[in-house]
Amino acid sequence: MYVLEQRVAIDASGAIGRIGRIGRIGHVRQVRQVCPKTGGSALWAFLLLAVLLSGCVTTGGLEHRIIQAKDRVAPALVHIRPVKEVYSQGRREEMLVVGSGFIISPEGYVVTNEHVAGESSVVHVILSDKSEVPAKVVGVDPYTVLAVLKLDVDYPLPFVKLGSSAALETGERVLALGSPHGLARSVSEGIISVTDRHLEDRGAMASPFNNWLQTDAAINPGNSGGPLVNLRGEVVGVNARVLSGAENVGFAIPIDVAKEVVTAIIEKGRVERSTIGLTLQEMQAQTDNPDRPGVLVADIDPLSPASESDIHPGDILVAVNGVPVNARFEEDLPPVQKLMADLPVGQAAELTVERGGEPVAVQVTPEELSQPRGTEQEFEEWAFTVSDLTPQHARRARLAARKGVHVSGVQVGGLASQAGLQQGDIVLSMDKIEIEDLPHFTELYKERVASGQSLVLLFVKRGALTRFALIEQEAKPEPATVAPEPSVPVPPVQQGEPLHVE
Amino acid sequence: MFLLVHGVPAQETFTSGQLQALHQKVTPAIGLVRFSSEVINPTSGEVSKRDGNALGLVVSPGGLVMTHGHMVLEGTTPFNISVTLGLLAEEKEYPAKLLRKPDDINVVFLQLESPTPLDLPHVTFQSDAAPVLGQPLVIFGMLGDSMDFAPAWDEARINAVLDQPRTTYCLNANLRFGFVGGPVLNTAGQAVGVTGFDLGRAEGGELYTRSGHPLLYQASLFQKYIDAPPGEKGVEGEEGDAWLGVFTQPLTDEFAQYWKLERRGGLIVSTVVPGSPAAEIGLQPGDIIISFNNTPIQARQDRDVLGFTQLVRQAGAGNEVEVTILRAGQPEQLHVKVGARPRTSREAEEHEDPYLGLTVREITTDMRIAMNLPEDVQGVIVRRVKSGSPAQEAGMRPMVIILRLGPHPVTTLEDFRQAVEQMARQKPAEVSVFGRFGAATGFFRLNPRW
Repeated sequence: MYVLEQRVAIDASGAIGRIGRIGRIGHVRQVRQVCPKTGGSALWAFLLLAVLLSGCVTTGGLEHRIIQAKDRVAPALVHIRPVKEVYSQGRREEMLVVGSGFIISPEGYVVTNEHVAGESSVVHVILSDKSEVPAKVVGVDPYTVLAVLKLDVDYPLPFVKLGSSAALETGERVLALGSPHGLARSVSEGIISVTDRHLEDRGAMASPFNNWLQTDAAINPGNSGGPLVNLRGEVVGVNARVLSGAENVGFAIPIDVAKEVVTAIIEKGRVERSTIGLTLQEMQAQTDNPDRPGVLVADIDPLSPASESDIHPGDILVAVNGVPVNARFEEDLPPVQKLMADLPVGQAAELTVERGGEPVAVQVTPEELSQPRGTEQEFEEWAFTVSDLTPQHARRARLAARKGVHVSGVQVGGLASQAGLQQGDIVLSMDKIEIEDLPHFTELYKERVASGQSLVLLFVKRGALTRFALIEQEAKPEPATVAPEPSVPVPPVQQGEPLHVE
Repeated sequence: MFLLVHGVPAQETFTSGQLQALHQKVTPAIGLVRFSSEVINPTSGEVSKRDGNALGLVVSPGGLVMTHGHMVLEGTTPFNISVTLGLLAEEKEYPAKLLRKPDDINVVFLQLESPTPLDLPHVTFQSDAAPVLGQPLVIFGMLGDSMDFAPAWDEARINAVLDQPRTTYCLNANLRFGFVGGPVLNTAGQAVGVTGFDLGRAEGGELYTRSGHPLLYQASLFQKYIDAPPGEKGVEGEEGDAWLGVFTQPLTDEFAQYWKLERRGGLIVSTVVPGSPAAEIGLQPGDIIISFNNTPIQARQDRDVLGFTQLVRQAGAGNEVEVTILRAGQPEQLHVKVGARPRTSREAEEHEDPYLGLTVREITTDMRIAMNLPEDVQGVIVRRVKSGSPAQEAGMRPMVIILRLGPHPVTTLEDFRQAVEQMARQKPAEVSVFGRFGAATGFFRLNPRW
């Protein structure tokens, strides 16, 4: 098994060796270019050595400690320029984004954000010595907005030491490293403002399994995926979000959460989680009485294992497989939700709920938790994009079963648009054949495009309404009414977020 | 070949003398409607107030005033309504009450309130005058606030006539706000209608608008409301609001080709509202209505759908009519008892609660459709959340559906009222509200200030 902690140990003991590795990728030479005022590489190497020999960051003033901490992480800091696949207005497009990341092992595993590197075809990573290396995406986890990349190099790389977010205290000084607005190798400084900020779940930004570190260290678009570092030079968080409109209210994923997720991604390519279809709320949503243990059951997904069991909104969940659970405040919810998500898929779990003051034992068999977003695909001939149904789509549309596909975008003037399809429609059937999922839709689509059959009938659901749509395959797409693009194409570059919280 | 134009009055333009005479005759009936309206922020539920004004036209000696329908839009409630008559002369202001908005034309009626019977100068319409293309007309209105709302006129001609979904006359005038709702006169001095601005809604809920172009609302469209004014807002739906409960799409030639049917038009049933007359007789999506109440249905374009709405309305609630449909290509005859249109959100009953800071209203059928709510969800919808109230503190928002209040299940407005009353006697420190927002349910904890 590949455990991050082990590599951390190697890092700590092999610190001198790290300088050697930096040398091999030409870091010393580059440093001189960046910092000509330090008086040359010899002085620089001496300073570094001095820091390392001193062992710990107990000496010197604050400025000195900040420089020491920065120096421990900076060699492993990377600037990431992925070419992302984005689906917009019925089209698949490629978009250049910039973000940050950090190397966590000598063989070149890099941690960054899912919204930086997810869904990218090509990822360019620029190392601290400004050399550029290709990378591939090992896996992503949208729920914790983390992604892992593997750099394509055949020499050992400098890497960071991962600290512990559990040991963090509010008020502790931290540094944020990364590429704000694309400006690589930037460092900002602040303190931990809160160690367990609960960010309300909002659609695509749901983070049900973790609380967040809040910091006043400046975090800007482009900082996403970069490390939040304590003054011992250990990474304690992964910067990911800011509060828009606020000053210096940034959020990082605690490194303890990231360690587990990153290990799972490296081992299996993804994070496996389960669900039984419950939505939980803190007890305070019902009563502020501190003597009421448990967690409030707020909602049951109608197409879930829980919907078939004897569990109802208003029940109080008090134990999972005999382990007591409590969430008096909303900050207590993520650990409970994580406990539930860690239940093995397909293996019956025993929940104890309290109903009318009496305990009730309920058996539920968890199923696999699906991704918050469905796979998306463009269908060029009909000029629209379609994605797999998520449980949320099925639920909002009140489908009797999770069958069909979701229209995620429609190109103006294309066949789908002419047939009256709109973004958000759910296609239930094609030529009276009930659609199962995206692969099934793709198969039916390909048959019809190949046969060139003149009319294809779709039956779609739009909110409470259903309607028929006829794709006229022989119809000519309307000529674009928009003026042609300017002759000098300007590639769209998006500053790699962080995601904004309203 | 020469086309002979028929029916153009002998006189082709207005003389100055004639315009002065008409101005004198019409302006005493033109009034300034002032009102305040409440605008509800759809996300926070907070309510802001603003003042508005509009042209009001006196259409009966007893003080019936017609104005345009924008006063009553979804999410706004006008109040403090007054009408000032005798503009620029001996002005007199009357309080007025709002009558129920007709749903087939974008006008609203007000009734002036006066302790003594009124005998006001008013405009009488010639509802059988058929306007024709190119005909010169004079439209009356008023200028803006900075011009003291001075009554004014403008010349206009009918520049287009559309047949569907109802005969529509377009005016080649600029759409000036103070002219909407003003009377339109022909060279014979007859009031043939008012300047209009469409916001129609077809059966099937597909908004059908021709906004942006001034229209002539010919008198035949609204004379019935002058003869028999609508009731007050909030009063139960009237006779004539008939309803079938289907959403339809026109049978275009392409649909006909796909289903191998004759290319003769019809209406494809796309959605059947649960519990509606259409559901009762088993209409299904995919059925094609080809005849209704002995009138063939030959809809081939979207705009033809509105004609069907009118047919249903003409059939009248409570009457049984014959419907011919094609199901799997075969004709079938069904008999349907036309229903009364269920109350809409515009007429929904509301209840303002003093303890929690909530205004809630009943769930009407149109809201159920708009929110895609299953039939088994019964409760009341939060309409407004008072700023600083316990409800706001608890994070309640408009559109939250309250299903349970403390220990009391809530299915109706009356349940809600009673539940609050009961709790107001017991004064619990906290009240747990179980509700639904979007597709999910959840709890809110309120600390009422009893």
